[in-house]
Order: sequence, then C-alpha cells, then structure tokens
Amino acid sequence: MYVSKTGLAVIAAAYVAVPLLLGSNNYVMSLIVAAMIIGGIALAWALLGNLGGMVSFGHSAFFGVGAYVSALLTMKAGMPIFAAMLLGGVGAVVASLVMLPVLRLKGPYFALAILAYAHIFKIIATEWSSVTGGSAGLASVPRFPELMGFDLSGKTGSYLIILTVLLAFVAAYRAIRASHYGIALRAMHDSEDATRVVGVNSTLLKALMLFVSAFMTGVVGAFNVHYINFLEPDYAFSGLWVTLPIVAAIFGGYRTILGPLVGAVTVYLVDQLIFKSLIPSGHQLVLGALLVAMIIFSPGGLMPLLRKDSRRKHAAA
Amino acid sequence: MDWNCIIRSKLKLAALALSLTAGVASAEELLVGAEIPLTGSLARVGSGMNEGISVAVEVFNKTNGKHTIKVITADDESAPAKAIAAVEKLAGQGVVAITGGYGSNNIGPASDAANKLGLPYITSGGVDDSLTERGIKTFFRINNTAGYRKAMVGLLADMKVKSASVIYSTKEATADLAKDVQKELTATGMTVGMHAFDPAITDFKPIINKIRLQDKSEVILMAGYENDYVGILRAAKVLKPDVKAMIGVWSLATPKMVADFPDLMPSVYGTALLPFPAEFKSADGKLFADAYKKLYNKEPDYLGQFGYVQSMILFEAIARAADKGTLKKGGVAEELAKTDRETLIGRVRFNDKGDNINFVHRMGQHQNGKIAIVWPSDAATGKMNFPGVPW
Repeated sequence: MYVSKTGLAVIAAAYVAVPLLLGSNNYVMSLIVAAMIIGGIALAWALLGNLGGMVSFGHSAFFGVGAYVSALLTMKAGMPIFAAMLLGGVGAVVASLVMLPVLRLKGPYFALAILAYAHIFKIIATEWSSVTGGSAGLASVPRFPELMGFDLSGKTGSYLIILTVLLAFVAAYRAIRASHYGIALRAMHDSEDATRVVGVNSTLLKALMLFVSAFMTGVVGAFNVHYINFLEPDYAFSGLWVTLPIVAAIFGGYRTILGPLVGAVTVYLVDQLIFKSLIPSGHQLVLGALLVAMIIFSPGGLMPLLRKDSRRKHAAA
Repeated sequence: MDWNCIIRSKLKLAALALSLTAGVASAEELLVGAEIPLTGSLARVGSGMNEGISVAVEVFNKTNGKHTIKVITADDESAPAKAIAAVEKLAGQGVVAITGGYGSNNIGPASDAANKLGLPYITSGGVDDSLTERGIKTFFRINNTAGYRKAMVGLLADMKVKSASVIYSTKEATADLAKDVQKELTATGMTVGMHAFDPAITDFKPIINKIRLQDKSEVILMAGYENDYVGILRAAKVLKPDVKAMIGVWSLATPKMVADFPDLMPSVYGTALLPFPAEFKSADGKLFADAYKKLYNKEPDYLGQFGYVQSMILFEAIARAADKGTLKKGGVAEELAKTDRETLIGRVRFNDKGDNINFVHRMGQHQNGKIAIVWPSDAATGKMNFPGVPW
C-alpha cells in the first residue's frame, strides 16, 4: 500500500512527537484520546455512508455491544484485553446481523430503523441484569495491561493503542475503496439500480459494509470501556456516540478517508481547549455556528478545503 | 550613610517583608478542584451542587481564620471522558483535592483518575454501591442508597401499612433503591408489587391502572426523577387508585415542585433534609442559610446542602492536613477518613470504603404549599397527614 512522504511524516509524528511533547500533560492527552475515540466512530460511520450509501443514526448500538462484549469477556471469562477487543468488534458484527432486514429501507427510513435497534440493545443491556449488571452497569472493568514494563493503561499507552487501531482502520478503508468492491460500491452510490443491472449484488455489498462499519465501531467501543473502566447502558448506548461522530465526519469531510479523523480531533480539541476556556458554559454554541459556517462555505468539509488551499499555494508558487 | 541611602534600604526591607508576607498568604490559599456537570443532561443538579460548594467556600473563608480556600471549577459536561479530563486539568492546576461529581457513570471514572493522581475525591452525587466497592482509599461519599431506603422503610413502618406498590425507573440509582426497598419490606412480611418503567415513557396510566385493579396496595412508592413523578401523579389523579399515600424520594419534596405543580403535590411525600420554608436551628445551618441567601437570593435546596456539606468536610480536612504539614503526603485523605462531626445532613462518619455509615435521609410531606419534615420523629417539624393523597 502506497503511503506518501507527508503521510509517513504525520504517522511518525503521531507515534513519536505527540507522546514526547504532550505525554506528560494528562489533560491534553485525555482530550486527544477522547477525540480519537470519536474519530474512530466517525470513520466507521463515514465508511457506511460513503461506500454503502447508508446514513445511520444507530452506531451507538455497535459501540455499546462492542463495549459490553469486551468488558464481559475480560471480567467473566478472564480473556486477554486485546483478544476481547477484537471479539467486541465481532459482537458488533453479530448485532448488525439482526439489522439486515432494514437494509431494504433507504434514506431516513433506514436511519430511523437502525436508531430503533440501538434502543432495543440498550433495553436488552438494562434488562439482562444477570449478565450485564443491569442499569447499575459494570464497574472496575479491567484496564490495559503492562507490556514490557510500559503501562498501556496510562495516557500515552492508551493513546498509542487507539492510534494503532485507527491507522489499521484507515488502511482497511483504503484497501476496500481501492478494490473492485470499492468501485462497485461507489457506482452504487450514484445509482443503485444501474449497478444492479450490470450484475452487482448491491444488498450483499451493503451488508458487508454494515459489517465492516459495525466491527470498527465495536472495537472502538471495546477500547473505550477498558480506557474508562466503567460501563452502564445509558452511557454505552448514548446518543452522543452518534451525534458527535456525525458532526466530526461532516466537519472534516465524510467523503474522504481522513476527514472524519481530522474533523473529530479538530472539533474536540478546538471546542475543549479554546471555546471552553473562552465560554465555560455554552461553548457548544460556537461549535454549532462553526459547523453551520463549514457546511455553507465548504460543504465537502475541512479536508477538501485544506486541499484546495494547498493546491492554490502550489499554483501560486 | 545619607538619608537617601537609609530610606532606600528601609524601603528594600519593607518590600522584602511585604513579599514574604504575600508569599505566606498565597501559600495558605489552598486550591480545591470542583468537577461538576454545569452543562449537559445533569446541568440542573450539577448547578445546585455547585451553589453549595460556593457557599462552603464563603463560609469556610469567613470562619476559619487561618487558611483560605480557592475553588477552581471544571465543567464535565455530564460525560465520563470529560469528567476524567476535568480532573486531570484540575490536577495540572495544582489542586489538593476534588469535590463534586454527579452521576455514578461520571463519578466512577473521574474518581479513578483522581486516585491515580493521588487526589482525594468527595461527592454526594452518586449512590451506586459499586463506587465504594472498588477499594479506592481516596474516595469519600456522604450519602448512599441505604440512607434513602432507611427513610422510605421507616416512614412505612410509622404508617403501619401492609402492602405497597413500587413504581421505579430502570435507571441505575432508582432501580437499585427500588430493589433494596422491596427486599427490606418483603422481609418484614409486607406485600410488595414491583413496576419498572423505561425512563423514556411519559404515560403512567397503564401502571397505575394495574396497581388500582391488580395490586390494590395501600401505598404507592415512586423511585424516579422530577418528570417521572409528575407523570405518575398526573396519571394517579386521573385514575384515583384507592391508596393512602404517594411516596417518592429525591427531587420531589422541593420548593421547586411546590411552585411548579401546586395541584399535584398536596400530601405527597419525598426525601427532604429541611422543611420549606427552611428553618435552621444549628449555628452551622444559620451560617449556611445566610451565606446562601446572600449569594443566590433564594431558599436553599437539598442539592445545595449536600454540596455544602461535602465541601465543608473536605475543606476542614485540608486545613487539618495543612496544619500537620501532610498536605502533599496523603494527609487530606487521612484526615477525611477521620471525619466525625454533625452536619446539615446529620452525623458524618466514613467506613473504610469511604461511605458515610450514618447517612439516613428524612421524609418530608407537601402540606398547604409548604414542606414539613414528618420522619424521623426526632427531626419532625409537622404531623404526618395520613391517609392523604393529592386528589
């Protein structure tokens, strides 16, 4: 897979410079980790929209299921955390299986149906108290372990884990988009009927994208539960796991691969570090206004805007 | 030596003395962090607690004489990740302890983060038992489910009723309380009907109808929040079940409910620390009430009282640790663990898990636009209007 020099430099900076420069600042590191969690969901949400052509309001279902599966496997079965995280993603895929019937729906109908599924999973987590702890939830969920003397449950350790997870997701997203499936999916996005006419099984492809998106969100949910060490239904299936990633993806540019990640980090950090210090209560207002401005002036989001700007500079040079 | 020289040297000495005095004064201004939801779903309760914290600062700084406290507030936006970030931000600003927190899902991760940073954390905003089962030695809580359960069960014992129906939200705190109450009432031989509801529902008529026709209980117990109570009482007022009392817990026997729902509240019971209009008999209570009215120009509510008590206990522990020179050596947690004093919410004493073993709430009843404390008898300010319902 080709990675540009700029891309390599950004990856190197993310792995080396960020921990070296900010590793001692717990506050900023925890904001970055939280932003990357939102970014992970935003990436998975954008993948479903971009490749599958589906707008989901129910990604909190995958996030919550992934979190519960991983937490329960580590707490009750004593499974190692990283294996449990992957199975958290698998759990989210299994959860998405029951959503397959709604793939027949389109647009807002699909979005609302998947939202209903998220609510169903929340009720299951609340009522199945013998396993999930019910509304009281699960406390003292195992933290990330030490690896060769390095504490992965610390801020820097957690940051490196989520960074690696996100890079793997980006690579997977790129690979899918560049494959034949990706071409078919993009064609489907323009006209599903026309794509079906030339022999593409659009329902199968959409289902596969739903599985991939669910897996990614489930793994991020699993990461979050071992990072926060606490889980309860209201939190696991909160609407925030849908709204904030959508805002981040649209802000960054959901048609691009990196847009949702850049959007999440920008939106979260700018909001928390700048707007919040200026307006401690009500700073979200500024964020809302900024999002509206972005949609009006650059409907494609931040990434296309940055690219346009850099092309203009190259042309001028 | 000429006069100029003498004056210059005197001025230098005076400046040095001033700077030293200033140094001592600023060294005694102790920083405390308040991690509170001021926005988001818990903003209303968070703001109430924040008022109590501000009153505690005012009273402590006025009465202590030796130390002064400065509180730095960080809004956790009712979100666990931001609660962690808030604690870490406050730690970076040099606070010696954290007061605040609302909702067990925020308090858990935030107090965990505080513990990692070696900061004591005190709260009144989460009653989940798992919070005190983590073995964290820096965590302290002044209220708990047991205190609410004792008040509800105690009131029912005074009423001498034989059956009750419990309507409870499936949220963590309410579900825990409802199940605890059921367990204790069943053990005393009472018949208890349980009716859970999803927090999203607003129409309680089916549940009330079931109680009216099937349970036929003597009293209805409600474990929910403001909107739930309003929905349940509205449904009960329509269907008029043959019960002798409607009893709730937090957020019900409050001045706000008196003002907003005068038709729904008569004779309804709820937990309340003080009657309304508030009457403070102790010197501490009067100090609190005066400072509260001065700062906010309104009657104090239970959130303010809890915020005040948790913060005063913390500030006093910090002052003791500062006097002993153990502020940075785990002294605050040690002093908090030794707390044993009468407060606005009764005597506070912590067990080895950081839970207040003495916490017992009081029960209030809405009577003629006021709230009278009717249980326990030694704290009562009025006689129980029983049987009595709003319809």
